[in-house]
Amino acid sequence: MLLLDRLRERRRHDADLFLQRMFITHHPVTLAGYTSLIDLPRTVMLLEQQARNAIAADRPLFALESGIGECMNEPDEQAVIEAISEGHVIVIAEHAGLCIKIIPVTRTLSRSIEAPMTENVLRGAVSAFNEDLDTNLGMLKKHLLSDKLRTRSYCFGKVRRRRATLLYMEGQTNAALLNALTRRIESCLDRDVPDLCALSKMLGFNVWTLITRFNTTEMPQDAASALGKGKAVLFLDRFPFAIVLPSLATDLFASENDRNYPLLLMSAVRLLRVLAVLANMLMPGLYVALVSVNPEALRIELAMSIAGSREGVPYPALIETLLLLLILELILEASIRLPKTIGPTITMVGGIILGQAVVQAKLVSNILIIILAATTIASFTVIGFHNAISIRIPKYLFLVLAAIYGVLGLFIGMVIVCAYLASVRSFGIPYLYWWRARENKHG
Amino acid sequence: MDKSLQVMVMYLLVHIGLIYFTYPMDIIASLDVGHWSAILLGYASHVALIGIYLKGLSYFGDRSVIEIFLGAGKMLAVILLLPVAIYFLVVMTITVRAYSEIVTLIFLANTPLWAIMALLLAVTAFISALGVEALFRTALLVAVLFLPVLLLVFCLSFQNADWRYIFPLMDKKTAALSFVISRPFLLSQFAFTGGFLFMGFIPPYVHYNRRSLMWTSTLLLPLFLISVYVPLLTFGESTASRFQFPFIAAVDTVDVSWLMFDRVTMFFLISLIGFVLIFLSLLLWKTTLLFRRGFSFVRPVPAVLLLTLVMFIVCLQIPDWSSIERWLWWNSFLRLYVVTVIPVATLVLGMRHVRREAACP
Repeated sequence: MLLLDRLRERRRHDADLFLQRMFITHHPVTLAGYTSLIDLPRTVMLLEQQARNAIAADRPLFALESGIGECMNEPDEQAVIEAISEGHVIVIAEHAGLCIKIIPVTRTLSRSIEAPMTENVLRGAVSAFNEDLDTNLGMLKKHLLSDKLRTRSYCFGKVRRRRATLLYMEGQTNAALLNALTRRIESCLDRDVPDLCALSKMLGFNVWTLITRFNTTEMPQDAASALGKGKAVLFLDRFPFAIVLPSLATDLFASENDRNYPLLLMSAVRLLRVLAVLANMLMPGLYVALVSVNPEALRIELAMSIAGSREGVPYPALIETLLLLLILELILEASIRLPKTIGPTITMVGGIILGQAVVQAKLVSNILIIILAATTIASFTVIGFHNAISIRIPKYLFLVLAAIYGVLGLFIGMVIVCAYLASVRSFGIPYLYWWRARENKHG
Repeated sequence: MDKSLQVMVMYLLVHIGLIYFTYPMDIIASLDVGHWSAILLGYASHVALIGIYLKGLSYFGDRSVIEIFLGAGKMLAVILLLPVAIYFLVVMTITVRAYSEIVTLIFLANTPLWAIMALLLAVTAFISALGVEALFRTALLVAVLFLPVLLLVFCLSFQNADWRYIFPLMDKKTAALSFVISRPFLLSQFAFTGGFLFMGFIPPYVHYNRRSLMWTSTLLLPLFLISVYVPLLTFGESTASRFQFPFIAAVDTVDVSWLMFDRVTMFFLISLIGFVLIFLSLLLWKTTLLFRRGFSFVRPVPAVLLLTLVMFIVCLQIPDWSSIERWLWWNSFLRLYVVTVIPVATLVLGMRHVRREAACP
C-alpha cells in the first residue's frame, strides 16, 4: 500500500514514528503514531478489548458504525501525518483499504495540578492552571458551572501548530469585544503564535506599548470571575496561564481573591495598592527633585538631614539614583534566573553587603537606599507580574523630568502618564474603563 | 455612552485651573467692600450664558457648534468662528506665558522661561494629539489624583482666617454695581468665561446630560468665594490688595507641623498647573478642530504640531509681565464678543431651526 510505504520512508527521519503490525479479529492491521505521545501497550490493549466486544456483539469491526474511531475516507499522506502529529493513532487496515483515526491512551506529559508559581493565594482555591489545554479548560469549567459558557477552538500557525481555545459567556460578554476578537483571530489563523508578543501582534496591538493589553492569570477562579464579568478568556496549549482580554486599569489593584477578605479590609488593601503604585513611580523622582532642584520645599530639619546624608557623595542626585536603581533592577532580574537555593544569597549580598558598603563608600546617601528599597517593594504589591513590570518603566521618565524641572516636572510626568493610560484602548474598550458586569448584560 | 461625569469633571477642572491666579487680585482691586456682589454678578452672568448656550445646543441634538453655524451658511460660520479661533489661540498663548512666569517666580527660579514654556506646550500638544476621548479620560484621572490635594489645601487655607474681616458687607458702590465697567472687573471675567465654550464642540464625540452640567456649575460658586475670601480673611482688604497673587500668598501663610514639606503652596500650584494643562489641551483640540475645518487637507497631528510651534514662537516674543497684562486687557474685548455672541447665536439659530422643523417637518 502506497501510504504505508510513505510512512516507512518517513520513519527514517522520524525516529519515534512507530508502525506496529498486529491482528485485530484476524484482520491484519498496522498502527501508526508517535511513541513519544502515545502509550502503545495500553492502546493495543484498548483496541483488543474493543475488538472482543465487537465479536461478542456480532458486529463487523471495521464497519463505519462500529465506533472504534473516526474513519478517514481515502486519506492523503498529509492528512494522515497531521493526524499523527496531533497525537492520534491511525489504524491502517490493509485488506479493507481503510484508515481509522482513533484516540489512543496518551502518555502523561503534563505536570499534575499544583499550587500557582507566580501568584500566591492565602485564602481561596489554590490549584493553578498547567500546560495542558484540556486540563485548564476542565478546571475553569469546574469553577464556572454554567450553561452559558461557550468555547471556540482554534489552531494557530502553519509550521508550528498551536491549539487555542476562546471562552466567553453567552449574553454576558461585551458583544463588540467578542466580534472584534473572533474576527481578528479567525483572520489570522495561519500565523505562528510562539509567544505572547506574537499573540499581541496577532491581535493587532501596538508593539511599542508599556501596558500589556491582556492579563495573564494562573488562577481558575480569577479567569472564571473575569468571564462572569463579561470579559473573554483565551487558552493557549502549553501555556500555563489563562489570557484574559481586555486588561483594564482596575486589574492592577483588584484581585478576585480579595473578595475572600472582609469588605473593609478588601477596600483598604486595594487603596494600599494604589498608594504603592504612586509611591513606586514617584519616590525616586521626588528624591531627585527635592535634593537637586527644589530643596526649599522640604522642612528645614529634613532638608538638613538629607543634605547631611549626602555629604561626600561626589555626583548629582540623578546619577546617584540611576546607579542604585540599575543595581536593584539587576538584582531583580538575577533573582528570577537563579535557582531557588541561591536566591537567599543574592538577597543577602544585594541587600545587606552591597547596601551597607555602598553607603560607607559614600557612593550614595543612605536615605536613597531607604527610598529605593521602599520603591522596589512597592512595585510588587500590584496584581500580576505583568503589571509589576509595566510600572517599572515610568519612574525613569519621572526621574529625568524631576532632574530637569523639579517637583513640577514630576507632577507633569504624572499628567503625561495619565494621558498615556487614557489613550490606551483594546478592541474599542479604554484601559481606564470602569468595568461593570450589569452594563454588558444586554450585550 | 453617556459621559456626563467626564464632562462635569472637565468643566470643574478647567475653571479651577483659572480661578486661583489673577481672579482674586482683579476682584479685590475692583471693590473695597462687599466683594461677594462682584463674585455673584460674575457667577450669575456665567450661569446665564451657559444656560443660553446649552439651550441653544439642545435644539440640535448631536451637532457641534461648527456644524450648526455651517448649517446656517458658510459666511456666517466664518464670521462667527474666526474670532473664536483667534480667541482660543490668544488665550492659550497668554496662559502658557503667564503660567510659565508664575512657575519661575514660585519654584523654578533658575530654569529659563523657554524651557518651561516648551514643557507646558509639549505636554499640551501630546495630550490633545491623543484625541478628545483620551483627553476627557485624562481629566478624570488627573482629577482623582490631584483634587484630594486641592481639597486639603482649601481646608488648610482657613488656618489664619480672621472672620471679622468679612465686614462691612456693603457700601454705596457695591449697591450701585458701578464696578461693572471697571477694568479689573472686566479682566476678572476671564475666570468665568475661559472654559465653557467646549460644551458646544464635543457633542458628536462625547455625549453628556445638559441638566447635570447646570447642577455642576453650582459647585463653582464656593470655589470662587474661597478664592477671594481666603486672602481677604487672612490679610484684610488693604493688605490683600497689594499682592499680585493674593490666594497663593494666603496659602503661603499656612504652616502645617505634621507635613514633611515646608510649603503647601507648591503642591497647590502643581495641582493647578495639572488642571491648566488639561484646559490648554482642550483649547488646543478645539482650535485644531476649527483649523482643520478651514484647511481640511491637514492631518490632526501635524495641525497640533504646527499650532504648538506658532504659539511657542509667539510666547517667546512676549517680554515681561506687563505685556501679558496688556494682552489680557486687549483680549478681554475679544472675549466679551466671543462669549456673548456664540451662545446667543446658538440660541437664535436653534429657535429658528425649531420653527423651520415645525413649519415643514
